[in-house]
Amino acid sequence: MGAVVSHASAAAPPPPPPGYAPTFADAASSAPPPLTPPGTGKDAAAVAEEEEEEGEKVDYMNLPCPVPYEDLQREAMMALRIDTFEGFRFDFIKGITPFFSLCHSVSMVSMELPSQGADVIKVPTSNYEFGANYLHPKMVLMGRVSHDGRLSARTKWDPSENLCVKINAQLTSEPHYSQGMLHCDYKGKDFRTQLQLGNGAYYGGNYIQSVTKNLSLGTEFFWIGQHRKSGVGFAARYDTKKMVATGQIATTGVVSLSYVQKVSEKVSLASDFMYNPMAKDVTASFGYDYMLRQCRLRGKIDTNGVVSALLEEHMAPGVNFNLSAEVDHWKKDYKFGFGMSIGE
Amino acid sequence: MASRPSLKPKPKGKGARKGSPPADEEQSKAAATMQFVKEWTTWTMKKSKVAAHYGFIPLIIVLGMTTEPKPTLFQLLSPV
Repeated sequence: MGAVVSHASAAAPPPPPPGYAPTFADAASSAPPPLTPPGTGKDAAAVAEEEEEEGEKVDYMNLPCPVPYEDLQREAMMALRIDTFEGFRFDFIKGITPFFSLCHSVSMVSMELPSQGADVIKVPTSNYEFGANYLHPKMVLMGRVSHDGRLSARTKWDPSENLCVKINAQLTSEPHYSQGMLHCDYKGKDFRTQLQLGNGAYYGGNYIQSVTKNLSLGTEFFWIGQHRKSGVGFAARYDTKKMVATGQIATTGVVSLSYVQKVSEKVSLASDFMYNPMAKDVTASFGYDYMLRQCRLRGKIDTNGVVSALLEEHMAPGVNFNLSAEVDHWKKDYKFGFGMSIGE
Repeated sequence: MASRPSLKPKPKGKGARKGSPPADEEQSKAAATMQFVKEWTTWTMKKSKVAAHYGFIPLIIVLGMTTEPKPTLFQLLSPV
């Protein structure tokens, strides 16, 4: 998800809003690097083909539907937001019917504790989670409950073809630590719009419209009653078969640009730039994503000195083996993990 | 003219005094209703949060077991 507001700046008092943070990336609104329109600067063999394409008049009344606003940067996120893990992880997914499945997850990790000094303090913790999924074309219910009683629930319901209602919630027994969010999406012919309602008096919405065949522009706003914050953001996405470039900017001052080049069906390279003046944070990252038949390998390097990679190997149908590694050169910290996942 | 202003406030004053207690009562009734609605919605939210916390996973399991194709209890509980 790529919302523009950085909730990290609002995070300190409980309830911590991690549900919001990963979805929001900050982007710069300056236009994507000047892209030569198709048909210029190509060699003679391709010119004929492009002239034919240009000959087809663009029908501005029949533009394709844009991607959802939160998926604006999805190609970049897939390559660059690698969820590396530490320790051991085992997932077992048991399908009972085509719609209904249960899953058991065990993980033994070292959790990092925030420490005052430069040392990194890690505490071994282990976790068991039981989950049940009901995946029906009209209604999707996914629930996970961990051994300490924390429930995370996701519901998606399509009352009609164009309307979609999603509810995400993390419920705990401790008071004031639960969170919930409701999204209502409407998909129009060449636009999409979404309204969001969350706890802590969170109200938000976004709208994205296809402007030309390749370009779509969007905007979003949010208002948090609890922390008295609000913001407006703008986003643009230009995608062709070979590349995707996106840009986002918000009144919170966050600016985020990304560029993904699809070198081939199996390989894509991505780069990302994020500037957050509130947290005085500037980060650029470069990554790759190899989607091969037997495995999927993703790696990235960051200007924060973090190098990370994740390998998912499909050893047999339904059996996956994952290896993850991350080294943070500035903090002199490293995380290695391995895991196995059985079942689809 | 001079006497009128002195006379006018009196009926106004009387009228205002008569008007304000009923207005006050209405205001306090409205405030009490709002208070009641707020408390009731808070109570409902708390109870529904507890219900969702305990009942969501059982709801999914019941929904999965009762819709077509209906699996058997053995299929639910066996590790294979």
